[in-house]
Amino acid sequence: MDMLVRLQNAGVAFHAQRRFGGTQYWALQDVSLELRRGQRLGVIGRNGAGKSTLLRVIAGILQPDRGRFWRAEVSCQLLSLSLGFVPHLSGRDNAILCGLRLGLRRREIDAQLGEIQAYAELGDFFEQPVASYSNGMILRLGFSVAIQVQPDVLLIDEMLAVGDADFQVKSAQAIHQRIHAGTSVVLVSHDDDKIATLCDSVLWIEQGRSRLYGDCDTVLKAYHAAVPAATP
Amino acid sequence: MRLHFLELVWFSTYAELRAERSRSYLGLLWWLVEPALMMVAFWLVFDRILGTGGPGYLPFLLIGLVIWQWLKSSIVHAGHAIWMNLALVRQVRLPVLLFPLVALLTDSIKFGVVFLLLLAVLWLAGYPPNAAYLSLPLLLLGIGTCAAGCGLLLAALMPLLPDLRFVIEQLLTVLMFLSGVVFALQRVPQPYADWLAWNPVMVLLDAVRGVLLQGAWPDGSALVRIALPLLALAMAGLLGLRWLAPRYPKIAA
Repeated sequence: MDMLVRLQNAGVAFHAQRRFGGTQYWALQDVSLELRRGQRLGVIGRNGAGKSTLLRVIAGILQPDRGRFWRAEVSCQLLSLSLGFVPHLSGRDNAILCGLRLGLRRREIDAQLGEIQAYAELGDFFEQPVASYSNGMILRLGFSVAIQVQPDVLLIDEMLAVGDADFQVKSAQAIHQRIHAGTSVVLVSHDDDKIATLCDSVLWIEQGRSRLYGDCDTVLKAYHAAVPAATP
Repeated sequence: MRLHFLELVWFSTYAELRAERSRSYLGLLWWLVEPALMMVAFWLVFDRILGTGGPGYLPFLLIGLVIWQWLKSSIVHAGHAIWMNLALVRQVRLPVLLFPLVALLTDSIKFGVVFLLLLAVLWLAGYPPNAAYLSLPLLLLGIGTCAAGCGLLLAALMPLLPDLRFVIEQLLTVLMFLSGVVFALQRVPQPYADWLAWNPVMVLLDAVRGVLLQGAWPDGSALVRIALPLLALAMAGLLGLRWLAPRYPKIAA
């Protein structure tokens, strides 16, 4: 299988304050991983272990401050629900803006606008300013746009089942469908069942360091043996 | 990638203009009302009360204020652009140049409309179009470069030096008075006039007024003198942005 992403002893430092200089803290200290085409990698670890930071490194949002990072010429998308909607703009205009920010070309978005409108179940509200939407409507619109993007590597930070009960089922199905369609996936989750069902390998991170990498069964057992509180 | 970036810049600019129209009762009319109100205020103080305006002061002031409004808005909006969008920078991989670029483009489109109206008003006031108008694109390009350079530099620094937000208005007010917006370079005594002749905004504004009011072609040597500092400013803005860009997603929320 083709190699898509490779991290070797990567570390990422954040600045504790908004200023030049200031103290740094290392959210990621020493993480190594390899992701191949079609692989479905789960990432587990306690809160604050650096899982979300790792996703943002793979997405290309953060550059590591030490170690090596290599990515093939592929698109990596972090599934986000609301990329800065503009309240005074209509749902349609926000869908276009959001799609462009996610890397879609304008003609691709135009071709999918009907589908986005139908999927978000917004009806005539699609032409109204987003300022008049409920929180659920905003999340539905965000999800409907995000799910249209078809990246080479899909990055998911916890399962994003949004909206009311019906839409939660629908959005969860859409994500499962995407994962099983052969897209390479990196999934961060605290849910063992989801990791075991959806992933073919798991990386366990502890305090910003890679602790163990392997098949789901082995890594999940080792994780729960070391962190009993995380046992479901 | 390049075409996608252009589409993103263009649609974001359209979105910004649409949003601005909806944010207030007068909407786009504020583009005209704001410089008009400033003109009345300065005309009252400098011409009516202090008596330092002189003949033809109103068109002189109007040109200065319309161009200053463009420069100031561009610098302020571009300067705040990355700082305002830090939440987005943390969520999605986007070239940060997008944000100040959209701000500069939005203000330039607004200025384009206001400037055309200014030309019409000047014509009605007895200052018809003349051959020197051909030099206007170059002069406006110079002012745009100055706005872009200052705006990009501020945009690059503001996420790391947020205190800049509190001094930017004061700095711009000082720059306005050092740029001959409300008085002519010829009225400045020596040796200050020699120093001010190095201010690119002053030189460009003087040249635009010469074209519009007297039909005079710009002074080539003065333009050559300010070309280098202008380009250096724009380059400093671009390089600063490029150098600091990896730090923005790592700044504390």
